[in-house]
Amino acid sequence: MFKVMQIAWRDFKSVVFTKSFVLGVVLPPVIMFAAIAGAQLLMNKSAPKVAGHVSIIDRTGVVGPLVEKAFAPDEVSKREAAKVEKVSDTMNEVGLMTPEQVEMAKKMAAAAASRNAVGVKLLPGDADPEPAKKSLATVNAKSDTNTPETPLAVAVIPNDAVRKTGDAFGTFDLFVAPKLDVEVQGDISDQISRAIVDARLADSGLDASKVRSIMDRPKSVAKTVTLEGDRKTDEVTAFLIPMGFLMLIWISVFSAGQYLLTSTVEEKSSRVMEVLLSAVSPTELIVGKILGGMGVGLLILVAYASVGGGALVAFKLGHLLDPVMLIYFVIFFILAFFMIASMMAAIGSAVNEMREAQALLGPVMIVLVIPMILWMPIMRNPNSLFAQICSFIPPINPFVMVLRLGGSEKIPHWQVLLSIGVGVAGSVFAAWAAGKVFRIGVLMYGKPPNLPTLIRWVRMS
Amino acid sequence: MPSNSTASADAVSIYGVRKTFGSKVAVAGLDLNVPAGKITGFIGPNGAGKTTTIRMIMSIIFPDKGQISVLGRASALESKDRIGYLPEERGVYKKMKVQPFLEYIARLKGVPSAGLSGQVKMWLDKVGLGDCAKKRCEELSKGMSQKVQFIASVIHEPDLLILDEPFSGLDPVNRRLLRELIDEQHKRGCTIIFSTHAMFEAEQLCDHLFMIHRGQKVLDLPMGEVWTRFDPRTIVVETLSAPDDSQLGLFRSFEGITEVVPNAKGFDFRLAANVDISNVMQRIASSVPARRIELKRPSLDDIFIGLVGGTSETLATLDDESADGKRSAEVAHV
Repeated sequence: MFKVMQIAWRDFKSVVFTKSFVLGVVLPPVIMFAAIAGAQLLMNKSAPKVAGHVSIIDRTGVVGPLVEKAFAPDEVSKREAAKVEKVSDTMNEVGLMTPEQVEMAKKMAAAAASRNAVGVKLLPGDADPEPAKKSLATVNAKSDTNTPETPLAVAVIPNDAVRKTGDAFGTFDLFVAPKLDVEVQGDISDQISRAIVDARLADSGLDASKVRSIMDRPKSVAKTVTLEGDRKTDEVTAFLIPMGFLMLIWISVFSAGQYLLTSTVEEKSSRVMEVLLSAVSPTELIVGKILGGMGVGLLILVAYASVGGGALVAFKLGHLLDPVMLIYFVIFFILAFFMIASMMAAIGSAVNEMREAQALLGPVMIVLVIPMILWMPIMRNPNSLFAQICSFIPPINPFVMVLRLGGSEKIPHWQVLLSIGVGVAGSVFAAWAAGKVFRIGVLMYGKPPNLPTLIRWVRMS
Repeated sequence: MPSNSTASADAVSIYGVRKTFGSKVAVAGLDLNVPAGKITGFIGPNGAGKTTTIRMIMSIIFPDKGQISVLGRASALESKDRIGYLPEERGVYKKMKVQPFLEYIARLKGVPSAGLSGQVKMWLDKVGLGDCAKKRCEELSKGMSQKVQFIASVIHEPDLLILDEPFSGLDPVNRRLLRELIDEQHKRGCTIIFSTHAMFEAEQLCDHLFMIHRGQKVLDLPMGEVWTRFDPRTIVVETLSAPDDSQLGLFRSFEGITEVVPNAKGFDFRLAANVDISNVMQRIASSVPARRIELKRPSLDDIFIGLVGGTSETLATLDDESADGKRSAEVAHV
C-alpha cells in the first residue's frame, strides 16, 4: 500500500505542480470566482450620486405636476422598492430567494434610490426650450459638486400629448446633459411617459390607479401535489442544479482521465515503465496511477465546485445545496472516475504515443457523451423506466444518478444503493480488465492494438 | 524441480520455463541455475530470449510453463526490494530532476527516507554526476542517463543485481567505471546477472557464463571451464621473414603436433592432447626465426560466433561440447 501511495503521490504531483495545470485548470475557476465576487461587489456598491433637476415645459398644463409628484423622494423610494420586489418575488417563487432575502433586497434598493436628488422644475408652458437646452451643454452630470440647481434634462411636452389633435397623440422631447447616468435618464423618460398616460386616462374620465390595477396580469407558480402535501415546482432547482452537478463530474472525470492517459503513454514511451515494474507489481502500478489521477480529479472537482458553491453562497442561494446530495456526489464521482480511468490507463498502456490513443478513445468518448444526450429525457422524468434502467448500467450509471438525485423528484433509496453497488462492481471489473491489458500492453511496442485485440487480452488467462 | 539444497545455493533457479508471444516461441524449456554471490554473464544473439528470460526472472512477465524461484522465494514479486534491475531500454521521467527521480525509485525499493538525500548525493558524486542533481533527466546525455539508471538499480543495496546490456552506449572511460562499480557490488556479496554483447567485459567480469540461442540454453559453464573446454590448443607463430612452406614437413615431424596450417604471417600449430606445450614451443622457437610465438587463447567472440553462427566445424564441435557442458554444469552445481 505504501508503494501504491508513493506512485499516486508522484503522479498527482507531476500533474498538479505544473504551470499548464495551474493555468489550464486552477486559474479558470479562480478567475470565474473572482468575476462572480467582483460582480457581487459591484452590485452592492452604490451607483454614483446624481444631483440636479429636470426642467419641464409642459404645454398641456396637466402632465408637469404629475411628473413633479413622481420625483418626490417618497415616490422614488417606493418605486425602486417595487421594482426589486417584482424580481425578488419571482426568485422567491422559483426557490432562488428566501422571503427574508427579498425584504433585505427591497430595503437596499430603496436606500440606494433615495440617495439621488433629482428634482423637477416646471417652466412656463409657453417658454422657449432653447435657453434651457443651451444651459445643459456645459453641465457635467456626473460631477460631485452638482446641486439641485444643476440642470440635468429638459422635457418638452406638446399640446397633443394628452388630447389628440390629429390621428395620433403627440410625443414628448427629452434633452439631457452630457454623461447623465443611463438609469436616471431612463427613469426620467419613464416617469414622463407614465405621467402623460395618466393624464390621458384622467382626460378620458378614468381613474389611472384603478386602470393600472385592473391591467396587472395574474401570475402563479405551479405546485406539485404529493402525498406529503403540495410542493412548489422549483424549475431552476430542477434543471440548473443537476446540470451543474453533471458538468462538474464530467469535467473532472474527463480532465483527470486525460491526464492519466497522457502520463501512462509518456511512461511507456520513455521506457520508465520497466524500471517501475522492477519495483512494483503491475497491479500496484495501475492502482497507484488511478489513485493519483483521482486526486487530480478531486482537485479539479473541488476547484470548480467551490466556484459553483461560492456563487450560490454569494447570491445567498446556499440553501439549495443538500449535504446528503454532496456525499452521494463524491461517491458517484469516485465510481465514474474509477471506471473511466481504468479504460484510459488500459489504452495508455497499449499504445506508444498519444496519436495512436485517439483511435482507441472512441468507445470512452461514447460513454462520456451518453450522459449529455440523456440529460434532457432524464431531467424531465427522473423516475421514468428509462432513467431507472440507465441508473444500473455501468459505466454511465454514476452520471445518470447524479442527474436524477440533483433534480426535485425523490429517488427511491434502494435505487441509489443499488446503483452504488453496480458502480462498485463495474469499477472492480474495469480495474481488473484494465490490469490485464496493462500487464500485456505495457511492455509491448510496435504496431498498436485495435479494440478486438484489447478485448482478447482481457480474455487471456 | 530443483532440490532444496540447489535452491539455497542458487540466487535464481529456472526450471522448464517456456514463453511464447503469439506464434513466436521466445523461450523454449529453459533450465538455469544462477549461483549465489557470483557474476554471471548471460549472452546470446539478438532475439535469443535474454530479455524475455530476465523479465520473467523479474516477474514483469510470467512464463506460460515452468517455475522460477528468485532468492529462495517462489517469485521476484516476493523479493522485489532485494533485487536491482537495469533494463535494456533505459527509462527516466524526462521532466523530473535527477535527485527526486533517484529518491522516488529508492523509496519504491523500500529505502527509508532518512538519509536518502545524502545517499543519492554520494552516489551521484561517485559516478561523476555530482553537479547534475538538480538537472532534469531530459537534459542528461545518454551515458549520463545510463549512470543515473545504474544508481537507481543499486541504491537499495540489492542481493541480486540484474543488468541488461549495461555497457551499451558507454565510452571506454565510463565502461571502466561501470566495471569497477559492478565489481564493487560483487565484493559486497551481491549476485550479479548481466546480459551483454560486450564480450570483453564478460571475459573480464564473469565467474559463470550462460548462453542461449533461439530460446534454448547452449552453454552453461563456470568461466574457468569455458576456457578449458573451448581451448583451441593452437600455437600461433609469426615468422620474421615470409613463411617458407618447405619447412612444413619439418614442423609436422615434431612430436605432439597434429596439423600445421600456414597463413600470410606464419603458421598455426594444432596440438595433440596431453602434450607438453612448453617443450613444443621451445622446439618451434629453435627451428624458425619468429617475431612472436604464443599459445592461442579462445575469445568469447569466437565462442559466441561459433555457437550461434554455425559456419564452421567449431559449431559441430561446440554442439557436442555444449551437451557435455550441460552435464559438467550440473555436476558443478551439486
